[in-house]
Amino acid sequence: MPDATTLYLILPEITLAVFGMVILAVDLIWRERSRAALAWLTVLGFVIALATALLGWGWNMALFAQMYVVDTFAIFFKLLAAIAGILVTLVSLDYLRDRTPYRGEFLALFTFAVLAMMMMASSASLLMIYLSIEFLSYMSYLLTGFLREDKKSNEAAIKYFLYGAITSALMLYGLSLLYGISGSLNFADITATFAARNDVPTRIVALVSTALVIAGLGFKISLVPFHQWAPDTYEGAPTPVTAFLSVGPKAVGFAVLLRVLLTALPAFKNEWIALLTVISVLTMTLGNLVALRQKNVKRLLAYSSIAQAGYILIGLVSVNLNGASPFSGLNGVLIYLFAYLFTNLGAFTCVIAIENATGAVEIDDYKGLVKRAPFIAALFVIFFLSLAGIPPTAGFIGKFFVFGAALREGFLVLAAIGVINSVISVFYYFSVVRAAFFEAGKDTAPIRLAPPITFSLVVSAALVLVMAVYPEPFFNLAAWSMGMFGVAK
Amino acid sequence: MEIIVFYLFAAIAVIAALGVVGLRNPVYAALCLAVVFVSFAGLYVLLSAPFIAVAQVMIYAGAILILFVFVIMLLSPPVDQGEGALKWQKPLALGFVGALAVQLVLVLALAVLPSARGSLTPEVIAQRGDVQVVGAALFSDYLLPFEMTSLLLLVAIVGVIVLAKKR
Amino acid sequence: MTLEPWLITVIEALIKVLVVIVVLLTGFAYLTLVERYVVAKIQSRVGPNRVGAAGGIAWLQPIADAVKMIMKEDFWPAQADKVTYTLAPGIAVATALLAWAVIPLNPAITVFGYTINFYIADVNVALLFLLAVGSLGIYGIVLGGWGSNNKYSMLGALRSTAQMISYEISLGLALVGVLMISGSLSLVKIVEQQSFWWFVFFQPVGFVIYFIAAVAEVNRLPFDLPEAETELVAGYQTEYSSLKFALFYMAEYINMITVSAIASTMFLGGYQGPFGILPGAHWLILKILFFIFVMMWMRGTLPRFRYDQLMRFGWKVLLPLALANIFVTAVVLVLIGK
Repeated sequence: MPDATTLYLILPEITLAVFGMVILAVDLIWRERSRAALAWLTVLGFVIALATALLGWGWNMALFAQMYVVDTFAIFFKLLAAIAGILVTLVSLDYLRDRTPYRGEFLALFTFAVLAMMMMASSASLLMIYLSIEFLSYMSYLLTGFLREDKKSNEAAIKYFLYGAITSALMLYGLSLLYGISGSLNFADITATFAARNDVPTRIVALVSTALVIAGLGFKISLVPFHQWAPDTYEGAPTPVTAFLSVGPKAVGFAVLLRVLLTALPAFKNEWIALLTVISVLTMTLGNLVALRQKNVKRLLAYSSIAQAGYILIGLVSVNLNGASPFSGLNGVLIYLFAYLFTNLGAFTCVIAIENATGAVEIDDYKGLVKRAPFIAALFVIFFLSLAGIPPTAGFIGKFFVFGAALREGFLVLAAIGVINSVISVFYYFSVVRAAFFEAGKDTAPIRLAPPITFSLVVSAALVLVMAVYPEPFFNLAAWSMGMFGVAK
Repeated sequence: MEIIVFYLFAAIAVIAALGVVGLRNPVYAALCLAVVFVSFAGLYVLLSAPFIAVAQVMIYAGAILILFVFVIMLLSPPVDQGEGALKWQKPLALGFVGALAVQLVLVLALAVLPSARGSLTPEVIAQRGDVQVVGAALFSDYLLPFEMTSLLLLVAIVGVIVLAKKR
Repeated sequence: MTLEPWLITVIEALIKVLVVIVVLLTGFAYLTLVERYVVAKIQSRVGPNRVGAAGGIAWLQPIADAVKMIMKEDFWPAQADKVTYTLAPGIAVATALLAWAVIPLNPAITVFGYTINFYIADVNVALLFLLAVGSLGIYGIVLGGWGSNNKYSMLGALRSTAQMISYEISLGLALVGVLMISGSLSLVKIVEQQSFWWFVFFQPVGFVIYFIAAVAEVNRLPFDLPEAETELVAGYQTEYSSLKFALFYMAEYINMITVSAIASTMFLGGYQGPFGILPGAHWLILKILFFIFVMMWMRGTLPRFRYDQLMRFGWKVLLPLALANIFVTAVVLVLIGK
C-alpha cells in the first residue's frame, strides 16, 4: 500500500485517471445532455492536475521502488502536458461537433493520453518507460483514427500504428539488452554497472541498445530516419489531435530521451553525442527542404515540426551541466519546448479555426485570408515568426539558448547548419503568409471564431510575445526545472 | 536430465519459430507460434517459474493467439505466393536481421550478460510458492506498472469499441 | 534388483497415466450409454435394448458403437486442409486428457513402505494449469472447423471460439473465490482443506456460476450453439466421420468428466466424504456422476439459447456476478481477518 507521501506526489496522475473514468461514466449515463459539459469537465481535470503537479515542486523523491521519480524536471513536463491538454481540449470543441458522435470517448482518451505523458515524464525505470510510452502510443493511435468514416484518418492511424509497433519492438529489444547487462530495471543500477564494467564487449552491446532506444524515442519525437509516419499521420488525423501530437508526445519524448541518456547512460556520452549530432543535422535539413514543396498546411506544419525536433536536438547534444553558464543546453531544450508548445499549438489552432469555417487546409485556400479573418492572419504571422525563430518571439529565445549552448560546447558547424536551416524555413512559412496577405482569394465571406478558440489563440499568442520581451521568468523556470533526480548538477 | 528437456524444448521452439516466419499459409504460421509459446512454457517450468509458464499458455496461446487465428480465418487472406511488392525491402530486412543476429551471437559468445542471481533462487521460490512470490511482487514493488497496465487495457478496450462498433 | 529412484518415479507416473487414460476412455464409452438411457427415460422411451442386453441394459452397446465407428469410411472433403483437418481431433482429445494430470483422486496410501499418491502431479499452479489446458482445447475445434473447408463447420467453430473464450473468463473468476479461501492453487491442498466443510458452503454463488460456465465450456445444451443441428448441420463436426468423429465425441465426454471433476474438487471436497465420512475415490466418482447426470438432465429438458442471448448472458450477467462474488468474498475475508 503506497503511503500518504506517495499518494500526495502522484496526485496529478490520480486526478487525471479519475477524471478520465468519470468522463466515460458521465458520457454513458447522460449521453446527449452532457456533451458540452464534458469538455469543461475535461478542462477542469487538467486545471486540477496542473495545480496538484505544482504541489510536488521541490520534493525530489523516488517512489514505487525507485521506478517513478517526482523531481522538478518531471514536474516541468507535467505542466507542459496539462497546458497542452487544456488548449487542445478548447480548440477541439467545435471541430469534433460535426465529425464524430463519440465526443465523450474522445475526451476520455485524450485525458488518458495526457496522463500517459505525465507518467512518461516521471518514469525512471526501463519498465515504466516502456509501459508509459506504449500507453501514450495506444492513445495516440486511437485518437488519430478517431474519425472512422474518414479514409485519411484511418490511413493515418494505420501508418502511425505500424511504425509505432516496429520502433517499439526495436526499443524493447534495446531495453532488454540493458536489463541483461545490468540485471536491473532502475537507472541508478544501470549507471553503476557501466561505471564498474568498461570492457569492450559490454560497451558494444550497450551502444547497440542505446541506438535502439534512440530509435524508439526518435519515432515519438519524429527524428529522421524515423519520421516517415509524421506527414501522413499529421495530415490525416483530426486537426486538434495533430496539434497535440506535434507538441505533446514530442515534448515528453525529449523528456524521456534526456532522462535515459543523462541518468542511465552517461558513460556513453561521447558516443550518443556523435550519433545524435548526425541525426540532428539530417532531421533539420530534411524537414526543412521537404517542407518547401508542401501544398497542404497540415503537411507543411508536419515537416516543420520534424525540423523543429532537429533544432531541439542541438540543445540535447550540447548538454553540459558543469559550471554556471546560462547555456547549459538542457535549459535550452526546456525553454525551446515551452516556446514551441505555444507556438505550434497556436499555429494549429489557426488552421483549425479556418478548417472549422471553410473545411480547407490547402495553402491555396488561404489566399485573401487577411480580408476574411484579419485576426487569424495576424496571429499566423506571429506564430510563423516564432517557428522561424525571428525576434521578437518566443521561438527566437528558444533558438538563442539552444544555439548558444552549441557555441559554448564548440559545435560551430552544427550551430551554423541550424542557422542556415532557420533561414530556409522562413521561405515556406512565408509562402503561407504571402498567400494570406498578398494574393486575392475567390471566397470573401468573413470567418467567425468560437470563443474557446479565440481564448486559446489569445493565450498562445500572448505567451509567445511575452516570452520574447520578458524572458526572465521562463528562464528561471527552466533553470529550476533542470533538477533531475539522480544527476548531480 | 534437465539439460535434455531444455534442449528438447529449445529445439522445438526454434523449429516452430522458423515455421512462423517461413510458412506461407498464415494459419500454419499462427499454429507454429502456438507451438513456440507452449515450448517456452516448458522452458519457464525448467527455470522454476511455473506461474509464468501457465500464464504464457493461458494468455498467449489460449487467448491472444486464438483471436489471431480467428481473425485470419474470418479474413481468409490468400496464401502468400512470395511475389509481393516488397522487392528491395527484402535484402534490406535480411541485412538488418543478420546484423541483429551477429550482435546477439556476440552478446552470448563474449559473455556480456552476467548470469547474476537475484534474491529469488529456486529454493526461495519452492519455499514461498511461485504464485505467492509473483503476487507479492506485483502488489508491492510493481504496483504502479500493474495498475497502469490495467488502466491501459481498459482504455484500449473503450477505444477499440469506438473504432470498431457498428453504427 | 534395485531400481534408481528416478526410474521408479517415471514408472509410477507412466502407470498412473495409463490407468487414468484407460479409466477415462472406458468411462466415456459407458457414459454414452448412460446418456442414451437418461434421455430415453426423460422422453419416455426404452433406449438401447439389443446388443448384449441383460436385465434391460445393453451392456455391449458401446463396444458395438466403437466397432462401427472404426469400420466406417474415413471421409475426406476434397477441399479440406489435410494437416489441420487431421490434427484437430487429436488436439481435442489430447487437451481433454491432459487436464487429468493434476486432479487428485484418492488420499495417499502407503504400500510396503512406499507412499503412493493418487495424482499424477501436484504442481503449485494446478488450477491455472487446468484453465490453461482448457483454453488450448479451443484449438481442436477451431482447426477442425477451418480445416473442413465447409461453411457450417466454419460457423460452428467461430461460434464455439467466441463462446468458450467468453465463458472461460466467468469460469476462471468463479474459481477465484475458492482460491481466496484456500490460499493455494494446488488441487491437492484445496481438497485436503475440505475434509470437513466443503467450499460450496462458503461459495454458493461461485459454485453456480462455475457450473453454468462449465456447461457452456463443454458445449452442452442449452449452450450447444457450436453444433446446433437445426442451423449448422453439426457445427465443426459436420465433415468428420469414422475415427476422427469418434475422437471429437470422445473429447466432448472426457471434457464433461473433467469439468465435473473440477467442480467436485473445488466445491464439493473431491474425494472427501460429507463431514469427514470415509474419504476415498468412490466419493469423487459419485460426485462426478451426479454432475454428469445433471448435465444430461439439462439436455433432456432445456431448449437451446439463441446466440445473442448466449453472449449477452455470458458477458452481462455471469461476468459481473462473478466479479461481485470475488469482491464480496474479499470483503468478508478481510472482515473476519483471515
